[in-house]
Amino acid sequence: MGKSRIRNNIRKLRFFHDEMTQQQLAEKVGVTRQTIIAMEQEKYSPSLELAFRIARVFDVPLEEVFTYDAEAESK
Amino acid sequence: MSFQEKNITVSLVNFILILGVYIIRVFQMIQGGSFNSTNVFRLWGIVIALAILVTVFATILTHIVSNIIQAIKTREEPVIEDIADERDKLIDLRGTKITYFVSSIGVFLSMLTFALGQPPLVMFTLLIFFGVVAQIIGDISRLYLYRRGF
Repeated sequence: MGKSRIRNNIRKLRFFHDEMTQQQLAEKVGVTRQTIIAMEQEKYSPSLELAFRIARVFDVPLEEVFTYDAEAESK
Repeated sequence: MSFQEKNITVSLVNFILILGVYIIRVFQMIQGGSFNSTNVFRLWGIVIALAILVTVFATILTHIVSNIIQAIKTREEPVIEDIADERDKLIDLRGTKITYFVSSIGVFLSMLTFALGQPPLVMFTLLIFFGVVAQIIGDISRLYLYRRGF
């Protein structure tokens, strides 16, 4: 619970894709806007399938959207 | 507040009211000397019927009213997010797990009163009490998970 160890660039990627709204992204990947908000705030780690769907929307590899914060694990 | 959170809040308020009515009725029966199986089982029926009917109608009503308010505020067609995605399902699963856990403790405690020599009526009264309490705790935990993050 709380902050996840998975970091993401969803907000930045949305910005570089013509300021795509959270609602638009949510509709494209088939989740609610609340889930996109939770992911952007790093309060929710998506499933692998959803992560791939998001990367596909932005047409970038998965690692460009999500990264694993190993330092947070050792803290 | 999302569609799911509204649903949970409505359910939570309903079950708190049902618990209130249940506790008041049980104490009235005990004080009035009418704490017998007929009255207790009638109360069981009322509580279960209320739990189902009121939750269904209150949920429908809440969504109609909130969509009307949203439409008036934004002057646009309201966006209804009535799909349950993977996060909603996970939160619901966690909430259900907590509900079952509290419910199991409740069943154990109810059985314990019977084992300790209390009449079966006490056990049945406690069973439904803990059932409603478990539902309330489950709803609170779901709301907490939505707010705190999951």
